Amino acid sequence: MINIKDIRKTYMKTSVETNVLRGVTFSVQRGEYVAIMGASGSGKSTLMNIIGCLDKPTNGQFELDNINVLQLDDDALSALRNKKFGFVFQQFFLLERTSSIDNVLLPLIYTDKYPADATQRARKLLDDVGLKDRTEYHANELSGGQQQRVAIARSLINDPDIILADEPTGNLDSENAAEIVEIFSRLHKEGRTIIVVTHDRTVAEHAQRILELKDGQLKG
Amino acid sequence: MTRIVRITRESFRMVRNNRVRGFIMILGIAVGVASLTMTICVSQGVYEKVMDTVNKQGLDLIQIRPGSDKFTGAPSGSRDVVSLVEDDVDVIRQHVGNIVAISPVKDRKEIEVKYGDKFTFTRVFGVTPIWAQIRDFDASKGSFISEEDMSFSARVCLIGQIVKKTLFGDADSIGQTIKIMDVPFTVKGELESKGTGAEGRDRDDRIIIPITTYTNRLFREIPLTQIVVTVKDTDKLNKTVEDISAVLRERHKISPGESDDFAMRTPQDLIDMAYGASRSLLHVLMVIAGITLLIAGIMIMNIMLASVSARRSEIGIRRALGARKNDILRQFIIESLLISLFGGILGTILGYCGSIILSSMNVAASNLTPLAFAAAIVSCSLIAVIFGIYPARKAANLNPVDILRG
Repeated sequence: MINIKDIRKTYMKTSVETNVLRGVTFSVQRGEYVAIMGASGSGKSTLMNIIGCLDKPTNGQFELDNINVLQLDDDALSALRNKKFGFVFQQFFLLERTSSIDNVLLPLIYTDKYPADATQRARKLLDDVGLKDRTEYHANELSGGQQQRVAIARSLINDPDIILADEPTGNLDSENAAEIVEIFSRLHKEGRTIIVVTHDRTVAEHAQRILELKDGQLKG
Repeated sequence: MTRIVRITRESFRMVRNNRVRGFIMILGIAVGVASLTMTICVSQGVYEKVMDTVNKQGLDLIQIRPGSDKFTGAPSGSRDVVSLVEDDVDVIRQHVGNIVAISPVKDRKEIEVKYGDKFTFTRVFGVTPIWAQIRDFDASKGSFISEEDMSFSARVCLIGQIVKKTLFGDADSIGQTIKIMDVPFTVKGELESKGTGAEGRDRDDRIIIPITTYTNRLFREIPLTQIVVTVKDTDKLNKTVEDISAVLRERHKISPGESDDFAMRTPQDLIDMAYGASRSLLHVLMVIAGITLLIAGIMIMNIMLASVSARRSEIGIRRALGARKNDILRQFIIESLLISLFGGILGTILGYCGSIILSSMNVAASNLTPLAFAAAIVSCSLIAVIFGIYPARKAANLNPVDILRG
């Protein structure tokens, strides 16, 4: 489903070239649960952004469901993010002063076809992550763990092929982190493709496969 | 639900979520639109008042007066200027085309009039029968002066409504004898009521007599105080004015370069005169409206720009979740449109109230028209788009990766 070949990313920072990714090649099959590990500065966030179609590599090839992603324009990439990916971020990135349910519904604003059962679907997803009685709470009235669970519900509203999580437990205590990891395992069992970027080995170990990134290259 | 409807709902939600910001912008727009509405209301009011006055006078009327100032060449105050005489009327009649009717006029103010033990002081006009048609000023009761009255210098008169009220009250005046400067006159008719004229003088406070009687039996004076002319084709009125001027200059032996010893007043002069007082107020209002609208626009741009910075993470989240640049652009423009529309509606109400106050204080006439509403809505929408587009573009062009990296 994901085919990445010799991806390179170079940043120009004050006339000094920084090679963040130096030839990364791997693929992810449908239904796989993959963890990408690495210390901070290893380039894993950049790789994550490239997989999520938020950023473009300087060089290399990237196919998603046989689509050559690197040839798409900005609008097409937006549509692809909307349709194919569910994003979960370290900082949760919910809209403030906006209810949980409106946050979950957010990706649907940008779909081509608004589903008739959108609200029921959002309620069901919040129910699934244990937030049935928090649908009208605003993001800032929820705890970190609850916010991340709203974010996971949001990532699922469009029924995406891939859940892309960037340090999903990074801002959570171990108890909440365990809960989030458990939700990912459940989603994997339901047949979702999951890619988690983390520096935390206890989180990564739940995946079927761990890719270790070091100095912009995959180990082994 | 289409995409644009969903985005509009988001815009609504975001405006509602930022009430203070929205309120400040709405106030700014409201002040601008209020002054615009006021300007339009006042200018409409003034326009209608002016047209009313000019229509009363007629659009085909030229007044020729002795002296060179067309406004201060007052009919009675210029007895020292002997420049217009009856011969001038004949010359104009013979040599100038496009004329329907022409009449000489002599008048004097504060003339004593008596009936029994009642008396008043009023203005006496000596005119010809055609004058009634020229000034559209006929008898409402009895009849106007005739050619026969003219040839016999008959002592007949028509009295204005105010004179009639003072001398006769509700009694019948026709056929009664009144004394003008102790000369007995038979009341032949009553003049229809006309109210206040363009000069602000009450047109019902007067007495009309044949001009021959005026000259032969009352005042024995030669100079005219006015010549009134109506034209056939009002489009050629200016040409007629030039022709009259040429004829009079030649007859009065005025050499080129010397200024006229007469002045002509046209409907356009009346419009100018009636506008006069309101014009400066209108200019001030227009300038205020322009400045406040501009300030409102700049304020919108400023606040929207600040809010783009404050809302970077919102924009990044939306982009990551699938919003196209265009979606962000539209959301921000719709937000400023919404705010401007609220401001526009509030401003129209404020401006209307303001113009009511202006007209109640007699500063200026005012009139609320659909035009004012339309102008308010159009102007605030324009401001929203013109001053909202730059911040919106800025928002749309933010790079989501930069934002989400934190």
